[in-house]
Amino acid sequence: MSTAIAEAVRDGRLPGRVWLYSNYHCNLVCTYCLTDSSPKSPRRDLAADRMVDLAAQARDLGFTDLGVTGGEPFLRPDMVDVLLAMADQLPTVVLSNATLFHGERLKRVEELAGHPVVIQVSLDYANASDNDAQRGEDNHATVVAAISQLVERGIRVRIGTTLDPDVEVSDDEQARLCDLHRSLGVADEDHVVRPVVRRGRAEVSDMGVKATAADLPPELTVTADGAWWSPFGPTIRDGIPETDLLITRTTDPLITPAAALLRLIDGRLPGDDARLGIR
Amino acid sequence: MLPMTDVTLAAGERLIALVNAAQAPLLAQPYFSGGDPGPIVAALAHVPEMLEVTLPFIGAVLGPSALDPRIKEVVILRTSARASCRFCVESHTLVALDSGLSVSEVRALRGELDVDEAFPAEEDRAVIAWCDALVGTGSVAPACRDRLRQGRPDHVVVELTLLAATTLLLNRFCTALELPTSPEVLARLAAAGMTS
Repeated sequence: MSTAIAEAVRDGRLPGRVWLYSNYHCNLVCTYCLTDSSPKSPRRDLAADRMVDLAAQARDLGFTDLGVTGGEPFLRPDMVDVLLAMADQLPTVVLSNATLFHGERLKRVEELAGHPVVIQVSLDYANASDNDAQRGEDNHATVVAAISQLVERGIRVRIGTTLDPDVEVSDDEQARLCDLHRSLGVADEDHVVRPVVRRGRAEVSDMGVKATAADLPPELTVTADGAWWSPFGPTIRDGIPETDLLITRTTDPLITPAAALLRLIDGRLPGDDARLGIR
Repeated sequence: MLPMTDVTLAAGERLIALVNAAQAPLLAQPYFSGGDPGPIVAALAHVPEMLEVTLPFIGAVLGPSALDPRIKEVVILRTSARASCRFCVESHTLVALDSGLSVSEVRALRGELDVDEAFPAEEDRAVIAWCDALVGTGSVAPACRDRLRQGRPDHVVVELTLLAATTLLLNRFCTALELPTSPEVLARLAAAGMTS
């Protein structure tokens, strides 16, 4: 099976990245948050040793990259150690709101420099008022300062921009955002723009585009509650994980959800291989 | 009537929520494509990798096979009644009637009439005694074993036993999770005068 997964990744039928939800709580309360995260959210932590073990299993199965998201991963005091251990297995990107990178935490984060770890920071608009309306007061200024601090310390930063498709963003505004990220030392290829997906709090807030499995790349995603089709899958609604993009509850061994995902993308139902009764 | 746990909970008081079609996990979605798949599937859908192996297994054991459909319903209904599974008794009362068992036979299997009177054939009574023993401690008295063996090849004994054991598994699952009988089944039972 590991050969089949490696082949699917190599052929481009299966994305190479495996995502891990490190936790669900967050210091921010963004309007479009898929996971309905806030400081009061249940943590739903994946244990550190479990994350590192899953990273090793992902590598052994033939996956090529790792991603960590939440919640805000850096609320966890062990996150730098976890990322360093994961990056020993495969290149890793971690999504962060970048509002915690000061003092002792920034010193710890410095240790990621020189390792295959990219921090993807959320920044939605070049102008503070629109950005902060979605992400919270003073978010723009805090994040811009943090990006500079990270880049200065030799850490590769990507910027993730999430836009409400119902709100028109002028070409000038988009150009200003690109000017801003370039001025901060973030290259064009490290700027990703995506629409708000209508799930979790975004759906409650009547924002975003509806997305089904057919609309989302099948990126294997592991949380404390199971394995999912995509990092857009394990969203929270009314305090409960939504299950329409759930693959399996079993996440260890990782081959269980990986094999199921492979079967799903091949479009075969269970038992389709049993017509001749040969197992 | 054999004793049964009286489970009459409102939806919000249930031990688990039943998965609906909108929240059906990817591996479970084929089971929802034809409409409401019933509470056993809706419960198992919480763990889709278990659903997709359990359902084919249950289907193979309880569905059409080398055994006569009538005797299969005798085993399922008798085992469910002896295990006090309200959900399975209510559901399989209708299946048993649909598969040709008489009202008095169904009532006897449910413990409401005397088995010996409702089932004059020893071959039926031997199977019923086998189910009763299996639901009890699981150990079977030699006389009961000898009655079942009478004229039956090993494969029939194995399948009857597997059917009773699988029914017992479902009885425990449905009773512990307090699965609700559908309104349609309850209406048909009431119309047939077979409400438990």
